[in-house]
Amino acid sequence: MRGVHLSGLPLSAKVFCTLFLAGIGCGSLAAFAQASTAVGISPSAVKASLAPEMPMTALAHGQMTAEKEIELGQIPSAADRVWMRTPLLIQTSHTHLFGQTLIAGLLALIFAFSGLRESIKCVIGALPFAGTLLDIGGMWGTRFLSPSLSLLVIAGGSLFALGYVLISLLSVHELWFRKETLA
Amino acid sequence: MKRPLRFVSAAAALAVAIAAPARAHMTPPVALASERDAVTRLLSGSSRYFVREVRLSPAGKDAIRKRTGWSADADYYRFYVGRGTDGATIASAVLLTDFTIHGPVRAAVALAPDGKVKGVLLVEVTEETYSWVKPLLDSGFLQRFVGSDAASAAKSVAGVENAMARFYAGVIAGLVGRAAALYEVAISKGP
Repeated sequence: MRGVHLSGLPLSAKVFCTLFLAGIGCGSLAAFAQASTAVGISPSAVKASLAPEMPMTALAHGQMTAEKEIELGQIPSAADRVWMRTPLLIQTSHTHLFGQTLIAGLLALIFAFSGLRESIKCVIGALPFAGTLLDIGGMWGTRFLSPSLSLLVIAGGSLFALGYVLISLLSVHELWFRKETLA
Repeated sequence: MKRPLRFVSAAAALAVAIAAPARAHMTPPVALASERDAVTRLLSGSSRYFVREVRLSPAGKDAIRKRTGWSADADYYRFYVGRGTDGATIASAVLLTDFTIHGPVRAAVALAPDGKVKGVLLVEVTEETYSWVKPLLDSGFLQRFVGSDAASAAKSVAGVENAMARFYAGVIAGLVGRAAALYEVAISKGP
């Protein structure tokens, strides 16, 4: 960017960029662990956490009451899984949209100084942003449009991770293993 | 070097500015019991279990609103009904949630066939709320509701001294009152 590339940054800037990327990587691993324990990382787990609760009986539209015998095993037992109702979805959405977009922005800021072609930087740098929007949008879609959209949540998270990995690998390579070239 | 460093500084300052108010939001949920655990404990003595789902008529919703101030606007409500070998109802349990500024409070309430509260269990709070609710649980606060109904549940808050604990005692009492009113309108009198 304007003749300044990652390979030409001063040592302090290289160290800070690398530490930032490492920190975000650790944070992402922790977030992955949290998501897999609190909700699950399969479309069916996301669906179970986000989709509206369906009647256990054959309660049809317009019907006032229905009853059926059940076994205790049919009652939900996952006390450690988060059932994400709308208020929690709102909270999760706004904190993650702010947080992940800021992270994506800082990743893109570092990546903007890469020596790669602008078109490549645009595509790779946009992945964490697109992943965030797909992830959160998928949550709302799963809840209010169709449970099958839970796939978007997994796809969004994967896209964010892919973007982070590519940006980090390419940036660290340029920061430490590429000789500075004059623009 | 100065220009990119200025960019980074500005971005970092923005991150800090936005992260600070984010800390004031809801803390993670604390699950105190699963739905199955709560139902099993509250409907103890039952040999057969049924699930009964009911929709409220406009008149039923109105009756509940007048009695408790609560707008029961869910599409349907689910009761777990425990019956003995002779088919007689032992108790019915319903799980209700109230959303406070600190997050959801979810309680399971068991009601005897006469509509009186048979037992109450707290199912879910948040990490922040738990510190205020735990002293209530430890003091046996939930036992106060046994035998109460929609009208008398709110009186069970008397004597709770800590302001935040009293607030959450009121939230729990409100949930118990709602459950009792819901049972009365939806089960005892029919939807």
